[in-house]
Amino acid sequence: MRAWLLRRVMQAVTAFAVAVVLLFFLMRAAPGDPLSRLSENRPLAPAEVATLKARYGLDQPVGAQFRSFLRGLVHGDLGVSIEYGRPVTRLLAERLPATLLLGGSVLLLNFTVGLWLGVRQAVRHGQREDRWLTTLSLAGYAMPSFWLGLVLAWLVAIEWRLLPPAGMEDPLLSSGAGLAARTGDVLRHLILPSLTLSAVSIAATMRYQRAAMLDVLRMPFITTARAKGLSDRAVTWHHAWRNALFPVITLFGLWLPILVTGSVFVEAVFAWPGLGSLAAAAVGGRDYPLLMGASVLVAALVVTGGLLTDLAYALLDPRVRLA
Amino acid sequence: MNPTVALHEIWGEPRGRIAALILLLLAIAAAVGPVFLADPLAQPDILAGSLPPGVGHPFGTDQLSRDVLARVVAGARISLSVALLAVILSATIGAAVGLLAGYWGGWVDALLMRLVDGALAIPRLFILLLTLAVWERIPLLALVFLIGATGWLGTSRLVRGEVLRLREETYVRAAEALGARRRHVIFRHLLPNAVGPLLVASTLGVGDVILLEAGLSFLGLGVQPPTPSWGGMILDSKEVLVSAPWTGIFPGLAILITVLSVNLLGEALRDALDPRTA
Amino acid sequence: MSRTIGYLSAAMLAGIAVPANAQSAGAENSIVIVTGQQPTTPIPTLMEGAAASLGNMELADQLFLRLAGLGPTMLTAGDRGFVPLLARSWTRRDSVTLVFDLDPRARWQDGVPVTSRDVLFSFQRAQNPAVAPRLAALLQHITGVTAEGDRRVVFRFSHPYSEQLYDATFHVAPLPAHLLDTLPPDAVARSSFVTQPVGSGPYRLVRIVPGQFVELAANEKFFLGPPKITRVIIRFATDPDARLNLVLSGQADAMDNVIPPLDNVRRVSADSSLRLIPVPSPALGFLLFNQRDPADTSRPHPILSDARVRRAITLALDRSSMVRVVFGNYGEVPYGPVSPVLWIRHGAPKPAQQNVAESRRLLAAAGWRDTDGDGTLDRGGQPLALRLSLPSTSAVRRQLALLVQEQLRQVGMRVELSQMEFPLWIERRTAGNFDIDFGSTSQDPSPSGLSQGWTCNGGTNVGHYCSPRVDSLMERAVLTRENPAEAWRQVLQQIEADAPATFLYAPTYVYAVKRRFRDVTISPASSWQRLWEWSVNR
Repeated sequence: MRAWLLRRVMQAVTAFAVAVVLLFFLMRAAPGDPLSRLSENRPLAPAEVATLKARYGLDQPVGAQFRSFLRGLVHGDLGVSIEYGRPVTRLLAERLPATLLLGGSVLLLNFTVGLWLGVRQAVRHGQREDRWLTTLSLAGYAMPSFWLGLVLAWLVAIEWRLLPPAGMEDPLLSSGAGLAARTGDVLRHLILPSLTLSAVSIAATMRYQRAAMLDVLRMPFITTARAKGLSDRAVTWHHAWRNALFPVITLFGLWLPILVTGSVFVEAVFAWPGLGSLAAAAVGGRDYPLLMGASVLVAALVVTGGLLTDLAYALLDPRVRLA
Repeated sequence: MNPTVALHEIWGEPRGRIAALILLLLAIAAAVGPVFLADPLAQPDILAGSLPPGVGHPFGTDQLSRDVLARVVAGARISLSVALLAVILSATIGAAVGLLAGYWGGWVDALLMRLVDGALAIPRLFILLLTLAVWERIPLLALVFLIGATGWLGTSRLVRGEVLRLREETYVRAAEALGARRRHVIFRHLLPNAVGPLLVASTLGVGDVILLEAGLSFLGLGVQPPTPSWGGMILDSKEVLVSAPWTGIFPGLAILITVLSVNLLGEALRDALDPRTA
Repeated sequence: MSRTIGYLSAAMLAGIAVPANAQSAGAENSIVIVTGQQPTTPIPTLMEGAAASLGNMELADQLFLRLAGLGPTMLTAGDRGFVPLLARSWTRRDSVTLVFDLDPRARWQDGVPVTSRDVLFSFQRAQNPAVAPRLAALLQHITGVTAEGDRRVVFRFSHPYSEQLYDATFHVAPLPAHLLDTLPPDAVARSSFVTQPVGSGPYRLVRIVPGQFVELAANEKFFLGPPKITRVIIRFATDPDARLNLVLSGQADAMDNVIPPLDNVRRVSADSSLRLIPVPSPALGFLLFNQRDPADTSRPHPILSDARVRRAITLALDRSSMVRVVFGNYGEVPYGPVSPVLWIRHGAPKPAQQNVAESRRLLAAAGWRDTDGDGTLDRGGQPLALRLSLPSTSAVRRQLALLVQEQLRQVGMRVELSQMEFPLWIERRTAGNFDIDFGSTSQDPSPSGLSQGWTCNGGTNVGHYCSPRVDSLMERAVLTRENPAEAWRQVLQQIEADAPATFLYAPTYVYAVKRRFRDVTISPASSWQRLWEWSVNR
């Protein structure tokens, strides 16, 4: 096992390294550069272009830029954002708490409520509840996230004045306010974006869990378990569910990067100061350092997600051999 | 499993029949409907603005006074064809890679899955933007290919997961012990049972691609306005969500009906393929 | 499992029940403004490149005072109509020399008086192309800034022209020399001055919460009178729907432009606690024609190099209806490349009305006929087909492009839309790879900015429009000190006659502000500049 784990980690690191290299060059191959955005309203004089290019390191050949990026990466320095003029690591760190809060709450809701509903549907397969939940979940999935967000914001925040429609904290809550009040404030701001983002992803989790449970429930060993007189609850949760976890574990690994990217639409509509909107703006502005920083983070999460998934497979089902 | 027998089984089941009929109806409406309806591009009275559903405009009009019903029917062509074709492509590649990686194991699995990791780490957006640097205008078929070719990664991991689990089942071991060829094991034993997550991914994928295509047209890929597409209509409705919700509700319903039908079809297909219920 | 769901739901409801005492923004002498642009470096002379953003400039205006400000007429020519700020008065010694007398009451926020040394230091940095290339280019006509004592600054210019006072006051707000002159220029950006600036303005910076908001506190000792609003929060939200939601739910007190979509005006009007305030905008939208062949810029454009075709396009469009559809009553069709913020707009002739018959006549005269009956005109086997490029980021232009396309279809022109991502659009535009480019600019209050786009060697003249007559008329208008308005009118008339573009829309911004704020003035050049004069009803 340990040999396998070591090999697997090495593979993950290799994949990560290759991804980083590809990302760097792909980014620069796309049309446009950081100066594109600046020249819409007024032209950049050649002197200004030269000064700015030197300042942002764009006047060097691509290979040299890559080398300096690597040198920085090794020292934990991701460069300075062109748009914000501040170190990328600091920008990412500033936005990380908000992102983790939103992403974390969504993942939590998903892998509790989503799992539970999916199992419930499978157990009540073919009945009215199953059919309704299917239609509801597919409707939730097919609906664009910004719709749900805007409708919720309009109803809950404007018509009913129950919750704030955007932002992460109330700026008028003075810094003298206690920790409890500030936490409550952030939680109140979290509810709507979290619900919006969860609604869409819970639908997906439900579908996968339901399908997996249905497969498992048809197996002979379930009939045996029931024949042995086990209660429905025991059969469902202790015997069936543990075998239906594989797709959901895979899903978790695939969605780990969502912790970081969130949903650009939801972050925009609710003005949630997360990494998703930061990265999206960086794409449009071709802010190479910021974009690389966010991409490196996402790449790390992707390979980590895959690694955790494989580990979970091996731990969960001893029969599975991954070597 | 004989494909013609499978189709027969799908048609036999009421759910399969309903789903197939709905999809067929949508296709016919897309092909023939525009003849009977208003011009989806015409802007007869721009100062009148967006009218709610009523006489003459069963689905209302949008901010440029274009008939929403005509646009939904005209949009079916693009949205349905792109979504269905791209999803079929993704599903095929995803299943193939997942089966291969899961069953062969060893270095094949490691190589394929690390490639998938690497590809997942690169946002689809970058790759698609890159194509714009090469082509000025991308033909629709190329777009379908690009979407399909970049959308199979998650599916392959899901299929591989199932195969890893199923590989150890007694009936698979038994078949191998009896000397069955690998191809036989894959298609006869593994695929029908691993098809669960594949079908869910495909159903959800249809909804995804419809919206993705609209997002891509904002980048210059995909269809350009004024060609209508369901996803495009939904994105355009964001501004007037509160004041003219019908501009977004009707294409949204169209997407929902399509996704539901694909779902029904998938379930019927799964029942047809499952040796236990066949 | 159901119990877990139960606990989760209870927790969520408890969150809702937390008292909303801080929710309404009307509790104190405070204002919450919501904008779309996040400030990063609101320090004069540091606003270069990406930092030359509206967010930075608007915040800098609260922290740092200029020598003099633009008056309500937004006139940039001449020496009159400006509002004294740091400079109490000014006189002219000769046609190339201006003298400013600083207000002796003016202080930095740390108590140190504002002196001529600060002005000299600031211009030294601003006119250094290695430090501030953008500013240096704008200030190129200032040949010398000298001090005569602590309170008198003398500006010398390279030649006589009408906007000397504007150049001396608008572009640079002085910085405190006593805090910064020991720091080399590149160290300023990294110093603590950026996060804790000491300015001369009505507000001081309390904190910047990244990605969310900026908090300002009133400068009690502001020499022109302490602001009545003591606490200012500027929140940012890039999505316009999010901004409107903040205002409609009472979480914000003011926002800049509510349009598009036009329906937002109705929604804000329906809220009795809000007032709509129209403000002239610096925005201008136009269809720019490429007069060279995109495939080979040494050759003229096969279709658009003919002025008759260009004029036909302008006449074929019902511009006033299009503006009404998108902007309602809050927009107009411009005459020439003039946005509402330019003072030369007053007294300009009315733009041409739609005239489809004349348009058709011009096209026919240029040789375009529908020989194959397919609805599109053609000439010599080539159809009258053009590509209209626009960035997908602009909802206004996306909507107008569809209107333009349909209206041109009526006269037999086939226009294909090409919407694309912003950087790609810029790249193609700069490379001249377009037929018609749907451009939009945000203009400075000075009409001399028109030279960028409409003179033969203008930096943003990507359509290759060249009229020596316009060049010389514009030069005359910039230099003349008697009746510059008439000179500029001639410039505009010539541009309209040459039709290098169809000038489509000049919108009026509509701000939404809570009614409890009184004495509200919004400055077109920098929205919240006069915030310190506002007052609040409790």
